[in-house]
Amino acid sequence: SEKMQRRRSSKTPKQPLQVLQKNQTDLSAWRKEGKTDSAKSVWNHQSPKDQKNDNEQDSLEQALSFFEKGKSIQDRVSLKKSSALQKHLAAVETVALQSGLPPEGFDVLLNVALSGKLADTVNTRILKSLVPASVIPEDAVVSAVSWLCVGKCSGNVQLLFLRWLITVFDFIDRKEQLHALYGFFFSFLQDEKMCPYVCHVLYLLTRKESVKPFRVRRLLDLQVKMGMQSHLQALLSLYKLFCPELVTINLPKKAKTYFKNAEGPWKAAINAIKRRKQENSPVSQALFLGTAPPQSRKRKWNSQLIIYASSVDRNNLEEDRQNNCGDLCSQSLPLERLQTFSQLLHNIHRLEFPSRMGSVLTNPLLLHYMNCVKDESIYLRLYYWMGQVLQEECTWCVAGNSEYEEEFKDFLETVYKTECFLQEGFSSCEEFLYKTLPLWDGFCCRSQILRLVSWIPLSSFSEMKSNLYDPLSQLFLTSSLYFKCSVLESLRELLQNWLNWHMVYLDSESDSQGHSSNTTLSGLVDAVAELIHFVGGISTVALQLEDNATFLLYFILNFYETVCDVYLKYNLPLLIMPPAGVFYPALLSMDSVNLNQLCYIMYRYRTNLVAAKQNELSKKKILQFKFSSRTYQEYNQYIIAMVGCLWTSSVFQKDIHPQGLRMDDELLKKTTVQEFKTSFNIVYHPAMMGYAVLFLQQAWPDDTTLNFSLIKGKTWNWYLEYLYAEGLKGLKLFIESSISRVSQAS
Amino acid sequence: LVGSDEGLQQKLAEAILREEKSFKISIHLATSLPLPSERDQLRPRIDLIVFVIDVKNKYSLKNVEASLAHVDASFFLGKVCFLVTGVGRVNYCSVEMNAIWKLGEVYSSPVLFCELELEGIRVATAQRLLRMLRICAGHVPGVSALTFASLMRNYADD
Repeated sequence: SEKMQRRRSSKTPKQPLQVLQKNQTDLSAWRKEGKTDSAKSVWNHQSPKDQKNDNEQDSLEQALSFFEKGKSIQDRVSLKKSSALQKHLAAVETVALQSGLPPEGFDVLLNVALSGKLADTVNTRILKSLVPASVIPEDAVVSAVSWLCVGKCSGNVQLLFLRWLITVFDFIDRKEQLHALYGFFFSFLQDEKMCPYVCHVLYLLTRKESVKPFRVRRLLDLQVKMGMQSHLQALLSLYKLFCPELVTINLPKKAKTYFKNAEGPWKAAINAIKRRKQENSPVSQALFLGTAPPQSRKRKWNSQLIIYASSVDRNNLEEDRQNNCGDLCSQSLPLERLQTFSQLLHNIHRLEFPSRMGSVLTNPLLLHYMNCVKDESIYLRLYYWMGQVLQEECTWCVAGNSEYEEEFKDFLETVYKTECFLQEGFSSCEEFLYKTLPLWDGFCCRSQILRLVSWIPLSSFSEMKSNLYDPLSQLFLTSSLYFKCSVLESLRELLQNWLNWHMVYLDSESDSQGHSSNTTLSGLVDAVAELIHFVGGISTVALQLEDNATFLLYFILNFYETVCDVYLKYNLPLLIMPPAGVFYPALLSMDSVNLNQLCYIMYRYRTNLVAAKQNELSKKKILQFKFSSRTYQEYNQYIIAMVGCLWTSSVFQKDIHPQGLRMDDELLKKTTVQEFKTSFNIVYHPAMMGYAVLFLQQAWPDDTTLNFSLIKGKTWNWYLEYLYAEGLKGLKLFIESSISRVSQAS
Repeated sequence: LVGSDEGLQQKLAEAILREEKSFKISIHLATSLPLPSERDQLRPRIDLIVFVIDVKNKYSLKNVEASLAHVDASFFLGKVCFLVTGVGRVNYCSVEMNAIWKLGEVYSSPVLFCELELEGIRVATAQRLLRMLRICAGHVPGVSALTFASLMRNYADD
């Protein structure tokens, strides 16, 4: 209606930040695409047939006018006595819950609620209905804070206002004036009841320039008076990050949750409205996302982040560009002005991160920045935000979230992709996994969780055991074949990440994210060894449970493909053979894929051992690490079994491994195999017999009796060539390296 | 299945029976132990006892603790398991998690967590229990119930 148009005129429409769904590394795509007058207020998109909504808008207008004219409200009038008050209050509440209040409404309502003119019950109801539909004008908040300073309203109302401010912080369109009010907020710290909430607000507002010595002293004094409260700790930690020289006391590096949830009705209402909007108007959805395709699902957390990102008034943006003061200003550069990579490079020293760190996750430029600049404060802020989101949105720990599983999955995916981009894990993610893995059912968000497991940073065995290995093995042992394979894949990537980390970080002194710099080489070797032993153990059991399934064996051997080359590829003095419970099922596998993998792995073990031996012999000084003779012995035992099994048909006689295939002749005779002394090699091996048959058919197409004994001498060589041509490269490498051929007469 | 919430037990049992399996299975639901002695002879061999504890209900834990006293010692060699439901309301749980961990330790039996009110998780839990049952009934060569339980409780590599 017209009245609403008039109210709206003072604010110019905001441009949404366009977040692309593509991979972070595609920088060229991350540019703003022209200005579209797209971010119209929600009101424009109501379908004309919504008469009910129009009526509600009218009644809201009337209510706002009523509240604006202070004279018509008598001091402290009680709700019961004024029916007009009741009516208007109800109108406000209805609209608020239905679709949120327009930006124009906040000024009026905040003034009324905080001026203390009305009874507390009315003020509380007003505050509780301050649900934003789009944005909240900064001016309204500023005048509300001024009312707070005057102290006309009751203590409870003040607390409620602070809680509201914390919850809707990201909806406030600009924050410059709020930053200017930092001192006023700071002065509220002395009120004991308000202190926790004020700390939270300050935490959101603090920038480097806010950290002043007198404020640090004040916080320390408060700490002495009230004891070490977690909210004070939070603020002090943040101060310490910005200005470590001003805060010299020792603070614990990571605390669980600094701020308890400022629970309130607003969050639920905001989410409900968003969902309703999603269902009703896909058009506005596209507008918020920019040029997103209509079928893309709007993400709860992501859509919030899009709104949050625009913390700069567009008007100022235009002026600044015209005045060309962007680069010369000593102020920090808000992220919306960042459009190109070269801009990032020019302004890298004065980037201002958004108040809500989550928008960093999908922003490739900011991720590059995070990667290059080791700024602890960014990590800390991201840590708190992510920890909170993970805890609150977890779909199996909070049953009410189960309908939003898709969104949570998407969020976990994004976190994983960011971790891949940064090539390291987030500590908040790690803590989340440790907390939820014991409670996890193995079903919700399975692939996302397992992928996140692969980015867990390395720590001591006792920690890994209780935090990861124990809960994971419980799930592993009772789960399906596919889950087992996924876990093995995830553990292989975990191993690889640890090894890569070793290659990159261990040489340089610096460490990121406060990983324990006490990790010496031997600590790393121990941790890696324990992981490999763990996987060896569960693989053995898994093979028994799944009856040596080929699919499972494939993943297990894949893991050992990484293990066998640890010495040569990753420069770690470690060589661990697979346990017998893995080796023998692979050797006797019915599938040539597994056998081929095993051959390749044994070939690589040999290469590593030979290289190690050479290094040992050539170096004058005694190496700190030397592969024990037991390792060589284990290898030799396996090799004897393999050669016996594949080549010389002598595995049952020669295998000396304690868990091996040694069998007496008497027992072998009972199998009624005619010539058992020559009948167990790559011709007769169950995995290879298929090839032997095909070979015979090609070599002697007319001969229908399959006479395997024909394969000897020269034919044997042809047979080998045939196998290699069929793709059994592992077999080829193994035979050529481990078996020295004595030329036989055919 | 022994537990105080009959509705949930029923749903879980149905989920188990709906699963594809190659063996015959019968599920006995009880709210507490001991089972009435009149039908002792007709009862088939019991391969696995699952004690269902609802994290929101202090009584369910007490009920289980009381019932445990009536279980023959031989069952604790891998044929007992604790199923804790209500994880989805972790903020409202009135039962101490520590008490549950302790229970698992004292009786050397695995503790599984789930949220039986959610269908997807219920089905997944049913599958997990079935796999355990297969082992406890001796259908998996080379893996006994005792081996399995000790692996579940404390994964030690040797």
